[in-house]
Amino acid sequence: MSSVATSEDATLGGMPDSPMAMPRGRRRTEAVMLVFAVALVAFAYANVGFGLKGSLPSGMAEYMIAFVVLLAGAHLAVRRLAPWADPLLLPLAATLNGLGIVMTYRLQEVGRDGNPGSMSVPLSSSATLVQIVYTAIGLGCFVAVLALVREPRVLQRYTYIFGLVGIVLLALPALLPAGISEVQGAKIQIRLGGFTIQPEEFAKLALGVSFASYLVTKRDVLSLAGRRVLGIDLPRARDLGPVIIVWAVSLLLLVFESDIGTSALFMGLFVAMLYIATQRTSWLLIGFVLFVAGAYSASKLFAHVGERFQIWLHPFAGQNPFNNAFQLVQGIYGMASGGILGKGLGGGQPYLTPLVQSDFVVTAFGEELGMTGLMAILLLYGLIVQRGLATSLSVKDPFSKILAGGLAFMLALQIFVIVGGVTRLIPLTGITTPFLSQGGSSLVASWILIALLMRLSDTARKPPPQPIQDEGMTQVVNLS
Amino acid sequence: MNRALRRISIAALVMFVLLLANVNYLQAFEAGSLTDKPGNSRAFAAQFQYQRGEITTADGKVIAESKNVGGVYKYQRVYPLGQEYAPATGYDALYSASGVESAENSYLTGNSSNLAVRNVIDMITNKPRKGATVQLTLDSNAQNAAWSALQSSGKAGAVVALNPQTGAILAIASYPSYDPNQLAVLDGNQLNANDKKLLTDPNQPLLNRATDATFPPGSTFKIVTSSAAFTQGNDNPNTVVDAPTSLQLPQTSTRLINNNGEQCGTMGNGKATIITAFTESCNTAFANIGMQLGSATLKSMAEKYGMNDPNLKIPSSVVQSNFPLEPAQSFTAMSAIGQKDDTVTPLQEAMFSATIANNGTLMKPYLVQQVQAADLSIVDSASPAALSQPVSPAAASEIKTMMLSVVSSPDGTAAAFKNAIPGVQIAGKTGTAQNGVNNSGLNDAVFTCFAANGNRSMAVGVIIQGGGYGAAAAAPIAVAVLKAYLENG
Repeated sequence: MSSVATSEDATLGGMPDSPMAMPRGRRRTEAVMLVFAVALVAFAYANVGFGLKGSLPSGMAEYMIAFVVLLAGAHLAVRRLAPWADPLLLPLAATLNGLGIVMTYRLQEVGRDGNPGSMSVPLSSSATLVQIVYTAIGLGCFVAVLALVREPRVLQRYTYIFGLVGIVLLALPALLPAGISEVQGAKIQIRLGGFTIQPEEFAKLALGVSFASYLVTKRDVLSLAGRRVLGIDLPRARDLGPVIIVWAVSLLLLVFESDIGTSALFMGLFVAMLYIATQRTSWLLIGFVLFVAGAYSASKLFAHVGERFQIWLHPFAGQNPFNNAFQLVQGIYGMASGGILGKGLGGGQPYLTPLVQSDFVVTAFGEELGMTGLMAILLLYGLIVQRGLATSLSVKDPFSKILAGGLAFMLALQIFVIVGGVTRLIPLTGITTPFLSQGGSSLVASWILIALLMRLSDTARKPPPQPIQDEGMTQVVNLS
Repeated sequence: MNRALRRISIAALVMFVLLLANVNYLQAFEAGSLTDKPGNSRAFAAQFQYQRGEITTADGKVIAESKNVGGVYKYQRVYPLGQEYAPATGYDALYSASGVESAENSYLTGNSSNLAVRNVIDMITNKPRKGATVQLTLDSNAQNAAWSALQSSGKAGAVVALNPQTGAILAIASYPSYDPNQLAVLDGNQLNANDKKLLTDPNQPLLNRATDATFPPGSTFKIVTSSAAFTQGNDNPNTVVDAPTSLQLPQTSTRLINNNGEQCGTMGNGKATIITAFTESCNTAFANIGMQLGSATLKSMAEKYGMNDPNLKIPSSVVQSNFPLEPAQSFTAMSAIGQKDDTVTPLQEAMFSATIANNGTLMKPYLVQQVQAADLSIVDSASPAALSQPVSPAAASEIKTMMLSVVSSPDGTAAAFKNAIPGVQIAGKTGTAQNGVNNSGLNDAVFTCFAANGNRSMAVGVIIQGGGYGAAAAAPIAVAVLKAYLENG
């Protein structure tokens, strides 16, 4: 925070509207909030131990020290690499990441040491440690992105490379044999040895960057109106191309990978970016109509997609609660048993919901922290989205604007799709819950997203470069 | 671009508001109704997290309670007198329940809306939550007498005793019975094993014979036939009717005879008064009366006594006692003496006597006296209600005279019990019901009776499967129950 300009400097800079209030870096705020985040996570971690066995969890000190060291490292890197960045993003993400670790530990302990319950797919006894390693990798990528992308504009150079990378990553599991890519009927991952990678998590980011820079160059033509139908200005047919292509790719995804969630996500990302770039409402409508039409016909054409709708509409009918709607209704029962204040960490039975550690982790929080805790978690996500959108509003250059707005909206959409899915607001589609789900790809990708938002907010809040004033005082020339 | 961004922000805000609203709906508003949805084992486990209410008898004996045993299921249900009270308490198992445990579940768990305010107060004052105590109408002396008598008889059967003035069930026993403790085990595998064993037991211990099984009423149905005769037929106990030693049933080759082919009464010439026919239980006399009245009249009277009613609850459902319309004269004759397709529950047997004991008014039977919240306040209590009035007080008095005669007259079928309870006059009616294909089965012994002592009165119905004569197998049990209740007044 050494570079805060004084009002004297500003005056010397020849700006008539000075003295102006220069934005502060606010890294101290970030540090204080990080302490708060760590305290909250440590409290929750201790709570699990007390809830289960009435004592502090073994290994808590080591895990918490590792967590603190990782966050301190990230904070120091931000001080150096993005000193003007938004002060809340890192603490918000750290809180969610920490709660994810706590829940992983809680679920790992199910059935061990005389704790009640058993998991449909038990977590290994090192699951918590592995999650902390993923956190380390995630924060490592976070720092790397901040270090490599010093200016958002450098990303614009690789518009098509990012696009290609994104498409390849998305398409990879569909092209690979089902043996290494299929999980629960959807082909969305790559299994290599003991590791699984979900390439879609990274594809979203690559495509986001690619879309944003494509739109910056094409936004003028895209906003040209063509024919007017039903009071809506339709874009010119040749400009409609990119939407059609993305729509087609997202449908192909549906077909080959049985993954409505991801296709909804990047369809939403693209349409939102188009709208920000062109300000034409018609794009929103067209995108929405195309997606709904595609999803509807998919539900008619493919049995498993249609089944998702049936489960959503009639989860409690007939044998559904015991068969295909089992996971959904168990998650809902869990949340219902949690009620307003929850069962307390370690006090509920989240293990009754199959695979609660991944897509259904939100229901585990709902059960043990109650409606109150779940709403707090949703508000944490809401705040990240809000910081992203605020960045988008304040940043000047169009690329950063589209990228920040698009990424923030995509995060909101992802939360909506998965939390809405498990709470039966919308049909359930399996996508991960950022930061909270157990697993590495989602966590690392989420930290990269936070890094991008922080880089963009750093750009937005950075004071303008100091004018070069080496010529000395302006000389008065007398013209008589 | 900022205009579009603001709109995108509003869209994001709307999505979060929808999520928050939905979470509120699920966890605050719908949470209660979700606990009853299929497959919700969490709700079931939750029941065991706090103390379920007790079930007690009217005189305060605890017959079901929850004990703290620790573990996932913190509380273990215990039935101190398992088999004796099983027909009343039922069981509360991991995934199902029966009897009062099922019917009064919302009070026992404390989930009833009547207890909602108290639960909130308990939550605020940090008192451990406890379900309400359900007090039954059962009298522990009567119940114990009923169970002991059934057990020592060693034959399958059931006893129901009622307070005729209120309909309160004073005893309800069924033999062979089961131990509900075996179904209250918290280990799922153990539970399945125990359950399977009980289900496959040829003695059918899970069958509550008192209210869930029906048997032919035999001659006890003559109470109903007499009621119809005195009400619709303008007869009285001294009316002389045809009571031949043998009666050829119309349009059949079947000859209906009295017990052991004996003559009815001492008048000779095939005639007898109704009271004599009732006292000696002459089949031919009541077959004739029934044919004169017609099946529709008998059916209407039987229904006033509570038969053909599929909706009776005490609070558990009681199976229907049947009196089908039998227009063929020969069948009308058979059904008038409680044979053919007449079937009754032991509870229905007690209801016959209770009606007469209560001057012709049948009270609705009930098993739950009151419900007491954990703070000892009464949240629900029984209010006795009349179900119907099958006969006028005058007719009831005439039938009472006949039922007294069954026990007090030297020729009565239950004369052996004349002085069974010193100072107490017992009014009763025996039944010995043929059953099985072509009456090949052993006769069921049936006895229905009532008596009063001071301000205590009781009506009892007993059916013993394959017991033989009603007076021999069923009456001693009924008398033992009367004695236990009336002498402890």
